[in-house]
Amino acid sequence: MITLEGTYYDGRTPVAVPARMEFARGSALLIAGQTSLRHAAAALSVSPRIGKADRFIALPDNGQFQCPDHPFLQSLPQASPSEGPVAWLEERWGVALAGIAITACLLLAGYFYGLPAAAERVAARIPVETEQTLGRHALTWLDEQKWFKPTNLDLNTQKSIRAGFDRLRSDLPLKSCYQLEFRASKALGANAFALPGGTIVITDGMVKAANSEEEVLAVLAHEIGHVELRHTMRSLLQNSAVAVAAAAVTSDAASLSVAVAGLPVLMAQTKYSREFETAADEFAFKLLKQKGYSPLAFASLMERLAIKYESDKMFVYVSTHPVTEERMKRARAAAEE
Amino acid sequence: MVRCSCGYDPGGIPRQQRELAIKFNGSAREYFRIWIVNLCLTLLTLGIFSAWAKVRKKRYFYSHTTVDGTPFQYLGRPIPIFKGRVIAATAFLTYYASSHFFTALLPYVFAAGAVLAPWVLIRSAAFNARYSAFRNMTFHFDGRYLGALKALYRWGIIPVFVLGMLFNWWGKPAVAGIALLVFGVSFPWWIRRVRDFLISHSSYGNRKGIFSATGGQFFGVYFRSGLIMVGIGIVVTMFSAMLIASMAKKSTLMVWFFAVPMYAGYVLAYAYVQAHSSNLVWNHTWLGPLRFQSTLRGWGMAKLYVTNALAIVVSLGLLIPWAVIRTLKYRADHMRVLQKGELAEFQGSDMSAVEAIGAETVDFFDMDLSL
Repeated sequence: MITLEGTYYDGRTPVAVPARMEFARGSALLIAGQTSLRHAAAALSVSPRIGKADRFIALPDNGQFQCPDHPFLQSLPQASPSEGPVAWLEERWGVALAGIAITACLLLAGYFYGLPAAAERVAARIPVETEQTLGRHALTWLDEQKWFKPTNLDLNTQKSIRAGFDRLRSDLPLKSCYQLEFRASKALGANAFALPGGTIVITDGMVKAANSEEEVLAVLAHEIGHVELRHTMRSLLQNSAVAVAAAAVTSDAASLSVAVAGLPVLMAQTKYSREFETAADEFAFKLLKQKGYSPLAFASLMERLAIKYESDKMFVYVSTHPVTEERMKRARAAAEE
Repeated sequence: MVRCSCGYDPGGIPRQQRELAIKFNGSAREYFRIWIVNLCLTLLTLGIFSAWAKVRKKRYFYSHTTVDGTPFQYLGRPIPIFKGRVIAATAFLTYYASSHFFTALLPYVFAAGAVLAPWVLIRSAAFNARYSAFRNMTFHFDGRYLGALKALYRWGIIPVFVLGMLFNWWGKPAVAGIALLVFGVSFPWWIRRVRDFLISHSSYGNRKGIFSATGGQFFGVYFRSGLIMVGIGIVVTMFSAMLIASMAKKSTLMVWFFAVPMYAGYVLAYAYVQAHSSNLVWNHTWLGPLRFQSTLRGWGMAKLYVTNALAIVVSLGLLIPWAVIRTLKYRADHMRVLQKGELAEFQGSDMSAVEAIGAETVDFFDMDLSL
């Protein structure tokens, strides 16, 4: 016979009554003050084990018996059986250490390999057309908000850049999606960017900063790389996944999560965006060579923009496309191959 | 005043007033193991385990919080929570997709959200109450959709906001400025109304909560936290201006002289609001023979936040469970429960089952509506 000391609650008033429960031959006898009640052990329901906390035994008559944890309670019917194995895991330091190792591996592997690979596959399955609406909206919005003015480039310049652009895109899988837009913008300076769905915007400032048409095409090839490699969709997927994962890890420290997780999340996302820049560079160098242009044009334009940026702090393109030694080296290496 | 924190109710003799001891006796080591198992399995199962994780976490917090020697009991079960999470995730994805891809739909999504918000509020309050028990009696929440709608929108703030989105009124700076001012000033009264709705529809046994704080008191809390922020801002600006002027060599690093104390000021103001609005709510709540005394301090909370954040960063997140346990202990240490009359006044009643959907939506969107 097993006897457990504890407290009885009748379920009608929150009054605690000292009680004990005796288990013998499949039946349970509850003795609380003057009353004693007998139930079949199989009709009881025991709350899950958690830490060293007391357990609650629900009785068939809506009463409840509360007592310290005891191994015998595991042999009674459980209120939430699926939590049993979880409680087993939670009680072991070995499991906790393994948990740290597995969590660290999962987060690192997911961040460096899993997530980029998964985002690439998912992005490849999403039709470009869904992005095009987004791109058109973005351009209309930018125009409406006066970020842009109509271009001041003369028609001949536009036409010859367009011809070069058409040559660049002529063999690409997404060739029918591209659309080249010229805009003047004081705020954005010498700039070029790809909007989702294949719209590529180049500012007058950028065209003027370039010494030759080849240099303009080099920038456009880089932007084509972003479109062709589906970078908008992939960065959206990857950045959201990083944010969700960070929220999951810090959810317990919710009141601190912005302060604690903000910077790491930003750093993690910056690394992805740098990788996309490198990938777009590689794509551009290959495309330029294939079409008979030199990747050196890209390097020389970027260097010139960097010098201008240093002197008058105006060119924003290089702030999102940092000019590094490494990048220039790769452009030169691509040109020599 | 008779003070007594013995484990059992002697019952019978009416007393003037006694204090029921409230304790949180969770341990960081124990909770660490629960936390890491939860995190690891949630990642391995791509989020499915998070429903179990939530149950285990709440079970731990409830079971280790005792009033008058008796722990609370969490009755929520993983499967209904999982169902709720799926629905919440769908709602979140709808919002996310519409804010990124189909921006034209966004006003309609907001409108749908505004219509659903009262429902989310009552369902989550009902779920939390229904699955929280003390001494074998669950709490109960009987707020209805219309009541929640009135509590949330009595001044028509959100409908106006949605209409503004639909017809693009927000483009006009004058309209937006006035609206912002109205929002800002009326916010404390709005908070009071929502709290009042939640508390006065909550019950334990046959006793309903009574809430007596006024909007003016809430306004005072926010106003004083604003003063803290402005005061620190003025002092910091003056000092950093003097410091920078006195230095021969200028560098961009000087931004930090300004930014760091300003951020500290923000943390202090935030902690002040957290501490004192919590005090305000508890100290003006009655539940049958029980009343509460919360004595949180802004300064203490700020110290807690800063040391927690530092510990978490330095330990690469491994001290999160320690920070959580420490915070709960701190809150319990600053809470008193006073009893005037008999606990037997609470008479149990029939309980009805509630689905988990509402509670999960609150969790997922992280709208902290809890006390």
